[in-house]
Amino acid sequence: MLSSTMANETSSAGQRFDSWVLERVRQRRGATELPLTLEYRQIYVMPTRFGLWFGLLLALTAIGGLNFNNNMTLMLSFLIAAVGQLTTVLAYRNLAGLRLEAIRAKPVFAGETARFRVLFRNPEERHRFAIEAVSPEDRDCTDIEPQNTIALTLGQLSFERGWMPMEPFRIENRYPLGLFRAWSVVIPRTQCLVYPKPATTPPPLPKTGRGEHGAAHRGEGEHFHGLREFQTGDPLRRIAWRTSARHQKLYSRVMESPSEEACELNWYLMGSGDTEEKLSILTAWVLRAERRQIPYSLEMPGAALPADLGEEHRDACLEILALHAS
Amino acid sequence: MIDPARKTILWVIATLALAMLPQLASMPPALLLVALLPLAWRVGAEIYHWKPLPALVRHGATAGGLAILYISYGDLAGRRAAVSLLSIMLALKMVECYRTRDARLVVSFSLFLCATQFLFTQGIFMPVYGGLTVILALVTLAQLQRSEAWSHAGPAPAVRASILSELGFSTRLVALAIPIGIAFFILFPRLSSPLWGIPDTTLDSKSGLSDSMSPGSIQNLFMDDSPAFRVQFSGNVPESSQLYWRGPVFWRFDGRTWKSSFYGRNIEAPEVPEVTADSWKYTVQLEPNERNWLFALDYPASKPDDTRLTMDFQMIRDQPVIQLTEYEVVSNPDFSDSPELAGSLLPQALELPEGSNPRTEQMVFEWRRQTPDDEMFIRRVLQHFNQEPFHYSLNAPYLGQHSVDDFMFDTRTGFCEHYASSFAVMMRMAGIPSRIVTGYQGGWFSTLGDYLLVRQSDAHAWTEVWLNGKGWTRVDPTAAVSPERVEQGSLGALNAPRHVLDYGWLRGMRNSVDIVQQRWNDWVIEYGAGRQSRLFEPLGLDHLGPAGLVAILFVVMLVFGAMVFPIVMRIKGPSSSDPVQKYWRKFLRRLLQAGYEARPSDGPIEVARSASKLLPASTQPIHRIAHLYSRSRYAATPPPFIELKQAVLAFRPNKKSA
Repeated sequence: MLSSTMANETSSAGQRFDSWVLERVRQRRGATELPLTLEYRQIYVMPTRFGLWFGLLLALTAIGGLNFNNNMTLMLSFLIAAVGQLTTVLAYRNLAGLRLEAIRAKPVFAGETARFRVLFRNPEERHRFAIEAVSPEDRDCTDIEPQNTIALTLGQLSFERGWMPMEPFRIENRYPLGLFRAWSVVIPRTQCLVYPKPATTPPPLPKTGRGEHGAAHRGEGEHFHGLREFQTGDPLRRIAWRTSARHQKLYSRVMESPSEEACELNWYLMGSGDTEEKLSILTAWVLRAERRQIPYSLEMPGAALPADLGEEHRDACLEILALHAS
Repeated sequence: MIDPARKTILWVIATLALAMLPQLASMPPALLLVALLPLAWRVGAEIYHWKPLPALVRHGATAGGLAILYISYGDLAGRRAAVSLLSIMLALKMVECYRTRDARLVVSFSLFLCATQFLFTQGIFMPVYGGLTVILALVTLAQLQRSEAWSHAGPAPAVRASILSELGFSTRLVALAIPIGIAFFILFPRLSSPLWGIPDTTLDSKSGLSDSMSPGSIQNLFMDDSPAFRVQFSGNVPESSQLYWRGPVFWRFDGRTWKSSFYGRNIEAPEVPEVTADSWKYTVQLEPNERNWLFALDYPASKPDDTRLTMDFQMIRDQPVIQLTEYEVVSNPDFSDSPELAGSLLPQALELPEGSNPRTEQMVFEWRRQTPDDEMFIRRVLQHFNQEPFHYSLNAPYLGQHSVDDFMFDTRTGFCEHYASSFAVMMRMAGIPSRIVTGYQGGWFSTLGDYLLVRQSDAHAWTEVWLNGKGWTRVDPTAAVSPERVEQGSLGALNAPRHVLDYGWLRGMRNSVDIVQQRWNDWVIEYGAGRQSRLFEPLGLDHLGPAGLVAILFVVMLVFGAMVFPIVMRIKGPSSSDPVQKYWRKFLRRLLQAGYEARPSDGPIEVARSASKLLPASTQPIHRIAHLYSRSRYAATPPPFIELKQAVLAFRPNKKSA
């Protein structure tokens, strides 16, 4: 099979041109308001590098045909040139009318790649082919069936916690022959929440304080609760070997964490240290407490959450950590 | 396993193979192997997953291929050699073509290769070849684009259901492009003179008559059915016995071969005939033959600009005819050529090699003594040809050192050049100045196309004798032997077919079909700067310059664009292959027209419920269609499709306002 090289992306002239267009769009229209229906105002059509090269070869052929007064050579050149011209319309048409509905991204931890999902809707009765979304870091491609909605995903590496704005990207296509590229620039307002990077070796959970609500939570606790039949996924160390041997069947111990036990994650109790390091440790604690099903509370400068468990609680905690003003 | 037809590289190979086809036909066999082996290897590599060849093998193959090319052609200067070089380089490229960029390069140069083939021939099958190559190349480029776009998103799903529809898409693209292509073709300004030199040789070999005549030379042409030229008369049309198309004229005879004389080639005609009311005015469309001479009927009174008229009334062009050439001539048949023969020319017109053909010489002396009058003598010789058992035949035996003796007394079987040569020699023996004229005689008149088709097989040789007071006079000794040759054409004179596929009906069909080629030549190949500038004469715009043409082209493009753009924008892509979905959407559209807009998230039940609230009059059909749709989709035994279709087609909701 053929492998691909993105000739257009590696060319510096092409890159300069793209950033020039981006700058102009930014100045004239600012950030893109969603939903956006692509129209002739937003769509640009330019030859690709292959298109330019192909055009040159075609022009040389035509000059040869003119010189030798060879009408069939001329006819061939004109015909192919006309086909090339038509493909500009096809490339344009492939984008025109496409709706950019929304862009979303789930929060990530710093250092991970944020995945921006760009939602496209094709409101018309025709197929659209090989629609590409191209950001400086990533690209994705899809066909869109009539009256269908589909998402393209663009990855963007996150570096630091907080809100990470999505980089401007292009919606483009080189359909059908790769001679011309029709594209539109999107300057999204979408941001991705980036949680602090969890510390790799955090100190043990601070087991202070008491849980205020709820009964004992089963799962990852340290106190024995009872036995049940082994289920795939139970850790090996939980297997009650003696009981299992007696009953010729595997049994796992069910553990619980006592309800009175809860951990208090408190910024002020962490002593003085590097802010980011402390945030990292707190993040790791939130994750660990959630995994072990130990209710945890969080107290930060300007924000506090009572002890609780669950994804919502975890995300709320992480958001506070992510947006902590240093 | 991936469907092989979806493998883009196989499309690339197919495009290259098709583009190379005419070139392959002209290649020496060894080179053919060099061109085809890499393609075969690559196809095998794709099917059987062979590893790429190591660089050493690839470079070795390239060097070997170039060596074979050099050995096959001797030098690389010729155009065929150059195009062969391009072909085998592209073929060898396929061995190491693993990137989209390389594949695009091969496809682009395949189109270029296709364009170069038109330099060799612009025959009627070439547009078919060109069209197919373009369509295949477009399919390949589309596939390449698709696989490139999808390269980061997994394997590309097929756009179209079948190969046929892939081809169909490209064909439609070409069909849409044809009007623009034609507009450009007609209006794009042409060069009236070339920018750089045109090489002297472009054909694979010179064809047609040669610059000398020996026994057998015209006989060979007789086997060749390709057209030599086509003629369109305006006004008077000559009788078939007058259709002597004058070509090279020969004076010098060495006992076997006739050659032209320096004077005859280089001295201008002393007197040019007048154009009279009885003159024939006609346009000749000469097929390329790489020779300098043009053909005309006796005697050319006006000639094309870049030619000169020699003393022999031969039209000689400065440049050899390397492509289809059209020229206009007026011929005056009543002209007498050189009533006075210059003294210096007389010895040349009587010269014979010493001591050859003694038997003929003796016979001529005998006859000459009995008939001293020139014209009586000529008639006597012709009578001899007519009454003695002379045969007009293709199977002429070999003639020895005294070729005329052998022919006159022993073999007595030959073709026009044998008769013309023997006759001219006998005239010279008798002291009558004579020379040989070669050219074409007759032709096939196409009543449908109103033109005369002259084929290479119509090649002929005859004699001219100089008679005091009358000048050079045409005598065709072949006509004395076989009058049918002149009356019915060269093929009518033979009883036996020339080869196994030589049937009358086949020849007739070929003649009739030639009109397509003639029209093609006339309208497309011969279109040039001259005709372009006269194009708008009917509109009162004579002699448009390049600027004018470009302006018109611009206007045409604008008008055409304004017409075509909306059409292109409205064309739907390939329609959904799911008919149930198609009719459901049709139903939703009709609801929309009636004022109900379904949300994309709504299923059939929700649509039916809320639509019938809005359109209470149509509750029943709405529910029925929704029911049919969901049953077609989900039921174990779906209802026949036709029920849904009919229900949707019959669904005509009243407008909301009603």
